[in-house]
Amino acid sequence: MTSRRGFIRAGLTTVGTLALRPFGLLPAMAQNTSNYRALVCVFLFGGNDSNNTVVPMDDTSFQAYTTLRGGLALPASQLTAPVLSVSGAPYSFHGKLPDLANLFGSKELAVVANVGSLVQPLTRAQYQQAQAPIPDNLFSHSDQQLQWQTSVAQGHSPTGWAGRAADYIAAQKINTSDFPVFLSVSGNVLEGTGASTQPVAVTPGQSLMLQGFNNSKGSQARLSALTTLLTADTGVSLVQAANQVMANSMADAQALTNALGKAPTLKTQFPKTSLGAQLHQVAQIMSVQSALGMSRQIFFCSLGGFDTHVSELETHNTLYPQVNDALIAFYQATQELGMAEQVTTFTESDFSRTFQPTTGDGSDHAWGSNQLVLGGAVSGGQIYGQFPTFELSGPNDADTRGRWIPTTAVDQYGATLASWFGIPDSALPSVFPNLANFPGAKLGFVG
Amino acid sequence: MKTLFVALAALVVSYGQTATPVMSDTAAARFLDQATWGPTPASIAQLQQMGIANWLQAQFAMNTSDLPNQPVIGPTGKPYTALADVQRAFFANALTQPDQLRQRVAFALSEIWVVSQLGGVQYAYAFPPYWRIFRDNAFGNYRDIIQAVTLNPAMGRYLNMANNNKADPSGRTSANENYARELLQLFTLGLTQLNADGTPVVDANNNPVPTYDEAVIPQMAKVFTGWTYPAAPKHKAGANNPPYYMGQMYAVEFNHDETQKSIFGGNVIPAGQTAEQDLQMTLDDLMNQPTMAPFVCEQLIQHLVTSNPSPAYIGRVSKVFLNDGNGVKGNLEAVITAILTDPEARAGDEPSAVTAGAATFGHLREPILFLAGILRGLNATLGNSSAIQMYAAQLGQDLFRAPSVFSYFSPQYRLPNGELAPEFQLQSTAAASFRADIVNRVLYGKLDASTKVDLSAFAAKAGDAGSLADSISYVFFHHAMPAAVTQQVEAAAEAQATALAKAQAALYVALTSSEYQVVQ
Repeated sequence: MTSRRGFIRAGLTTVGTLALRPFGLLPAMAQNTSNYRALVCVFLFGGNDSNNTVVPMDDTSFQAYTTLRGGLALPASQLTAPVLSVSGAPYSFHGKLPDLANLFGSKELAVVANVGSLVQPLTRAQYQQAQAPIPDNLFSHSDQQLQWQTSVAQGHSPTGWAGRAADYIAAQKINTSDFPVFLSVSGNVLEGTGASTQPVAVTPGQSLMLQGFNNSKGSQARLSALTTLLTADTGVSLVQAANQVMANSMADAQALTNALGKAPTLKTQFPKTSLGAQLHQVAQIMSVQSALGMSRQIFFCSLGGFDTHVSELETHNTLYPQVNDALIAFYQATQELGMAEQVTTFTESDFSRTFQPTTGDGSDHAWGSNQLVLGGAVSGGQIYGQFPTFELSGPNDADTRGRWIPTTAVDQYGATLASWFGIPDSALPSVFPNLANFPGAKLGFVG
Repeated sequence: MKTLFVALAALVVSYGQTATPVMSDTAAARFLDQATWGPTPASIAQLQQMGIANWLQAQFAMNTSDLPNQPVIGPTGKPYTALADVQRAFFANALTQPDQLRQRVAFALSEIWVVSQLGGVQYAYAFPPYWRIFRDNAFGNYRDIIQAVTLNPAMGRYLNMANNNKADPSGRTSANENYARELLQLFTLGLTQLNADGTPVVDANNNPVPTYDEAVIPQMAKVFTGWTYPAAPKHKAGANNPPYYMGQMYAVEFNHDETQKSIFGGNVIPAGQTAEQDLQMTLDDLMNQPTMAPFVCEQLIQHLVTSNPSPAYIGRVSKVFLNDGNGVKGNLEAVITAILTDPEARAGDEPSAVTAGAATFGHLREPILFLAGILRGLNATLGNSSAIQMYAAQLGQDLFRAPSVFSYFSPQYRLPNGELAPEFQLQSTAAASFRADIVNRVLYGKLDASTKVDLSAFAAKAGDAGSLADSISYVFFHHAMPAAVTQQVEAAAEAQATALAKAQAALYVALTSSEYQVVQ
């Protein structure tokens, strides 16, 4: 692949040819849609209290939930009607997530319970007596976000797991285009940074194309000067880094604009929210995957505001409808495009929150969380992994407040997704370097 | 021409009695890019006349900027939440008010001590008083900032120290950990103990040593119990008042947890103290943590001067934080002086000198600095309907609306090669192309209905491409524009027909270049 991206590491000599490559030359060979697969991450920033996302409704669990969560316990009237899992156990979703509950019932949505960052499987005794390695800086937003995004729980990782998956896809020339495998509609994010590939970020509804140019001589001279300067080496690393981002932007802008010119108008109505706009943009880009030359893509969306130390119920009543409405619209759009089985959407979040409330009807930072996976290829209607025992200072509690020690690792969650996406077992260790620490690495919820 | 000017100026000085050598254009403009919202011909000349020491003294004495107070209730009878007037006033200050250094330092401090309208404080009237803490203490003492922010009701709302009552005696709830955790992690100590030069303290196995362990957080949460919002006018002062953002929070002792608390650094807050006593003792203990100096100083250096300061640079500034020379700890006037006059900050003032570390020196202009710098250099005036704040927002800096308490970008954000590059967290492909679009709009008159720029000084030089490039270099490149940039600026100018078009094209190429985006 003659990549026009990632030239900084390869040395600046390549940028000249890259930036000066005629715009608009795209691979003509279209991909077969049935071979297409995409992963779509929806990151819930701030640490979603997933204790209230999905609630086990068997008598023992629900009674413990109601007692221990106190002011945060949702009464049955604020939960969806219980849905039976494939194994016959009843679960309710937050009442503002009705469409997701329905997808669980129709087996198009799975729940992965108590998943979080780990170095290796860990018990309460090991944690409390410091007898086993644990992730760095637990309960810190910034650290736990990065551990979810990198699948590396100790030390600094310069790359994210989706970025490393993108490295594999690029190295194997699985896409016919060198358009980036990883596309964020929510800004820069480490999850998509690879060792040899760089993500692209798009603002929903806005072109990356530079404005203010026409075919006049003066205009072209200005563009030529800008483009030429991107190849200048002044020996300053930050300048080179800024040049790289701009060169990437210009290359990707042309490819994306050309492809989106052929995009069909989606009949599916997306909600007029930030997450709705992000997922609408993702659906539009997916609809032109063939013109873009992409058969494997990873997308990143996000919604913030989940750091509910106080007034959690009110906050969830604002945020969860946004999640529900955007996700169901997106799923319907993939059905409209005939791609529902080719697209798997999954949630991530910093951490879940203390089972025991704060004095202000909120909850503090915790650890293991429940995550949602939906799509036509998902073996839904099931709980993967295990819910914790709802007991403060109980077997799953890191301390005394219901900070659940994860029983499934981020590595396993990501590897299951990546495996379906097309990363072979032989390459999984390069994407998830600590996967071997977890027996039964893949969880089987998709693929 | 530049050499001639310097020589001439030196000659003039030599006739006077002053011993201070005149600063070169480059030295003056570089300093102003670190200490102001961007150099202008007038500010360069003023600094050259005054010299750094006198200029700093003048700046320390100045406090001219303000943000307008906002109504609590808007004209429709609903809470007034629109921030546009406050945001526009911030930019107007940046463009025209003379207390430039105070504004830069206050803004840097506000990026550490974040309160945001997103996820907490809805009312616009909360933000001007909160911002004044940093304006008024920019050259004051760091401990005063800690205390003022801790008791500020906007922070009380944002990180939930307001109405943080002690745990319910049944044990069904716990005190809220939010302010306790972020005060330590983000505002004062960070997660890892630091040596004075900013390098991590490591144990025998070479692992970093944490500044506190997890058991400290619930204890610190108890320290910060018992405070409530000030009572609103005509409202009775209660134990758990509703949010009101003027004035300071006050303590309600029966909501305060009086048990003993074991906090960071092995310190113990004894049982039986009042909320105020707990607070004062904890803040004193915080000031005694050796990690605070490098933790705070490195971030201030990153905001003003360079993303990757050497350990020696951090160490020199930390030493001043710990003792300003008069035995005072946390004196920000001394710290800012040390940051801006440090040999590492000033090493690039003589561009011909080969300076160590130059390849990793500098920082990307964050969006607000980028916008303000361009508009100041183009002698812009903002109108009442300026949309400047919306452009900043779209680049990732929506003033007073950071996405979380982690601010607009992380001081720990790194390039793939491992170098620190905080502002690059916002520099996505989308942001990069939008920056160029903003330059296009500024120069071709389409930024918004009321913002006006004055290109006449540049158009006047457009008869000769070299002179035009030199005039741009003087204002925007510390009169040291790299040859590669000069070449392209001239090429773009020469392809245009009119003087204005030449100035526009030359400025477009210059201001979109990465050599401008990164302050060297």
